[in-house]
Amino acid sequence: MNTNYDHTPHDLRTDFLETKTPKMLFVINAVLAVAYFAVLVFFFPIGNKLLFALLIAGEIFHLWQVLTFLYTVWDTEYEAPRNPSFHPPVDVFITVAGEPVELVQKTVAAARAMNYPNFDVYILNDGYVAGKDNWRDIEALASRMAVNCITRTVPGGAKAGNINNALKLTKSPLVAIFDADHVPRGDFLRATAAYFADPTVAFVQTPQFYKNYSENFITKSSWEQQELFFGPICKGKNRLNAATMCGTNMLISREALVDVGGMCTESIAEDFITGLMIHARGWRSVYHGEVLAEGLATEDLLSYSKQQFRWARGALDVIFRYNPLFMRGLSWAQKIQYLASASFYLSGLFVVLDALLPVIYFYTGTVPVIISGMLLASFFLPYLFFTFYVIQRTSNSTFTFPSLGFSMGSFNIQLQALYSAATFQRSAFGITQKKKLEGNFVGLVKWHIAYAALVVGGIVVAFLREGFSASLFNNIAWGALNIIIFLPFIRAAFPERTRNQSVPLGTPVAQRTYAVRKH
Amino acid sequence: MPYENTKTPTRDIVLLVCIMLIPLALSAFFFMGQSLRLDEAQSLWQTSRSVSAIFKQVGSDVHVPFYHLLLHFWQIYFGATIVSARLMSLLFYELSIPALYLLGRTSFNRRIGLYAAFLFALSPFMNWYGNEIRMYTLFTFFTILNQYFFVRIWKARTSLAGEEQRQSHIWAGYILTAVFGVFSHYFFFLNLLAQVVFYFVRWKTFPEGSFRRFLFSAGVVVAAFVPWVLYVLRLGTIGFQEPLLTPPTSVNLFSTFAQFLFGFQNDNINTFFLALWPLVVVLALLALRRKRRALPETEYFLATIILSFAVAFVVSLAIAPVFVSRYLIFTIPSFYLLLGSLFVTYEARFAVFLQRSLALLMVVMLAVEIASPSTPVKENYEQATAYISAHATPQDVIVLSAPFTLYPVQYYYRGASPIETLPLWDRYDFGPIPPFVAANLESEAKTAVGSSQNVYLLLSYDQGYEKTVYDYFNSHYQMVDKEHFSDDLNLYVYKLRYDTAKTSQATTTALR
Repeated sequence: MNTNYDHTPHDLRTDFLETKTPKMLFVINAVLAVAYFAVLVFFFPIGNKLLFALLIAGEIFHLWQVLTFLYTVWDTEYEAPRNPSFHPPVDVFITVAGEPVELVQKTVAAARAMNYPNFDVYILNDGYVAGKDNWRDIEALASRMAVNCITRTVPGGAKAGNINNALKLTKSPLVAIFDADHVPRGDFLRATAAYFADPTVAFVQTPQFYKNYSENFITKSSWEQQELFFGPICKGKNRLNAATMCGTNMLISREALVDVGGMCTESIAEDFITGLMIHARGWRSVYHGEVLAEGLATEDLLSYSKQQFRWARGALDVIFRYNPLFMRGLSWAQKIQYLASASFYLSGLFVVLDALLPVIYFYTGTVPVIISGMLLASFFLPYLFFTFYVIQRTSNSTFTFPSLGFSMGSFNIQLQALYSAATFQRSAFGITQKKKLEGNFVGLVKWHIAYAALVVGGIVVAFLREGFSASLFNNIAWGALNIIIFLPFIRAAFPERTRNQSVPLGTPVAQRTYAVRKH
Repeated sequence: MPYENTKTPTRDIVLLVCIMLIPLALSAFFFMGQSLRLDEAQSLWQTSRSVSAIFKQVGSDVHVPFYHLLLHFWQIYFGATIVSARLMSLLFYELSIPALYLLGRTSFNRRIGLYAAFLFALSPFMNWYGNEIRMYTLFTFFTILNQYFFVRIWKARTSLAGEEQRQSHIWAGYILTAVFGVFSHYFFFLNLLAQVVFYFVRWKTFPEGSFRRFLFSAGVVVAAFVPWVLYVLRLGTIGFQEPLLTPPTSVNLFSTFAQFLFGFQNDNINTFFLALWPLVVVLALLALRRKRRALPETEYFLATIILSFAVAFVVSLAIAPVFVSRYLIFTIPSFYLLLGSLFVTYEARFAVFLQRSLALLMVVMLAVEIASPSTPVKENYEQATAYISAHATPQDVIVLSAPFTLYPVQYYYRGASPIETLPLWDRYDFGPIPPFVAANLESEAKTAVGSSQNVYLLLSYDQGYEKTVYDYFNSHYQMVDKEHFSDDLNLYVYKLRYDTAKTSQATTTALR
């Protein structure tokens, strides 16, 4: 028996929400992070000035990430006041734009079955304006299931426009929004409406769980990425009145939405920006840490990349177009939280910079700092290991290497998003693909493969220049480390065996069995 | 988590016996026959004296007397030879193997216990000290036993029925091993420090009444140790015989871990291993797996390593250098257990790959440690003195620097040439070795060489003045021979006079 890890039965739907962590760990982590940064900046002779500047820029970014993370997760136990007997009328919006009818049917059926005294279900059918063939089928489905269907005929604003259009045609004080694939649980409305007894609450966000977690490597890794966000980070933001609006699985006050002119149609991350606007108007937000709806993760790397691009572009818009630092009405805590969330998508830039350092050494022999490797290691390793430990503690050991690999491996997507945001290019809103696209997507990882080739070629060049040296070995190790980090993302580009069984509610992972089929 | 308190399976016993055969075979074929080293010679010298003299000698050293007393009586019963004395270290090394298995099984599971025991038996570092006439295997043995009892105490709350009745035995074992431990090596207190820290972090998970019992245990240890402290303070001579240690750097920190895994290697190999340190990050990254959270047991062993290294490092920088890899040998069991427990967090095939790769690499490095003439810890005083015995005449003089290398040379040397040291030192004079004073070198050198015909200058254990001594002889006398016996052990022969009828063989040897 392997007793090296916790055998306590656990559930994917609750594990990530157990986030309580001793504050002393955060203090130690912050001290180690600052110490490492200070040593690197102040105690080593500078090598190449440009490389040094880039290295320090990267380290400043990493320090910002660590410190804002620690600030966010400092206290994740805050719970907003709620009145369980508060049941105002609710309009339930299910946004549809060409998704399969069977998929929508499940969501509609679950929405109808919600245990709540006063609500109406609306399918917001954007199939017509999106040029999807099945828009009539969706209308027929609505009719069959006796729910309302609002089919837009005038395009504009993508999903945000769809919701804004429905707002004009409905009137309940609260609006629940679900993507077509996000199936709500029966108690969704009862659990979330209770917060609106406080009239200053604008929206309540719940986690975006992927019930197809076990479908394949991509769905699994996607959910594992989400766990850190919807676990400690969102719970921490809840304390700071800075909950992130995610566009689905949420309940929102019509008054608040109207107050900011409806969902933001100017960005492809309409939800994130709308949340920012709402906060800037002084409304409160709540994150309800309980899985109350279940959706689908993207199942192939192309769909994943498109989704990541949309999120990255939307988040980076916050920096380039809606910078919270200069926005009135936000508290400093909210400004920091929005900047922290948005700047996550700058990671790609620094991943590339860090990854290029050994390559530059291989080909030119240039280094940013003239450094004693072991002195660096004696500050870097404790800092890094402790940071991993803290992340594991705050996420209840749900943070995984593939999720880290996906975050870092998405550097090319993030760089694309950065370029398009910085140059204010228009990006079209794309519906996240709900069905797996077949084939391999090697083109999406060409940069990663090119990097590996650069490292291998660089080793030869460096060897011919200086033979085997400590510096060469050290840089080989750094290069290898970067390649290993990219491996999960590279692996995702190739077809794989998939696990085709979704996760029934409440089933502990240990009891699940997988049906394996080959593609 | 309840520990596996079942009877040891026969398969494990067989495997353990096989594992225990590894150091035995290595000792018989490679390690036991090695030349006596400085520290060993010092041990033999100290333990060859009366019990009261042993106390006085050890009190002037930086050690505690348990090992020396044990070796004193061991030699009375089993003979005062190098092999006999080394066998005592080997015995404790061998006993540590099943003890480590038990500790691993109690803390994690039997597979991790077996794997850690396997690494322990393959360890080039452990094999080295398993055959050295020093206290390090004794120290390690009592650390493992003490950790075993500590873990048993901690897990008593979750243990199975019937365990409660045996609690007094466990506490007795804990106290006894703690007392023996602190008298094995001063660094044993670092093991106790880690336990104190772990207790205060995890006190809620300890059985009721533990605090009271730990206080009592501490009282017993203090009561037993205070007389020794008072004795040493009364002597006021601690450290008289300790070689000069330099303050550690970050390189020492990581080199120690490299030594724990790959033993004593030359600078090139060490540099190679240390330069690959970023790959350690890979191990940490790959351990980030769902629900693979660190157990409290892991925290305990990690605390033992981190605290011990940190305290030794800080004390070395702030007070006096004490950071020596062999002093930290007691953390090796924790280190191997941690590695074993880390590997099983990985995906099964990768875990097996890592386990086998590490074991294989350790075997290879063990072979290099044995075979390579550049292994830094090798001290071939036996060959050096054999050479001198064959060449030096009573008209010649042997000059040693550093002075304390007198111990191994005198052990082996049976010739008629007088032996002097630089700086001049009479080891029968109580007190520290005189410091080197550059201004006195000429006069001391003249006193040492006197009217001899040839000088056999044996330089080893550089205490910071070796080159000065070498330069002095080089510039004042004619070198007629030089020999290299092991890393940092060099012999230089100088001719002082030509007027003696019989010239030594050395002088006829061409300068190589």
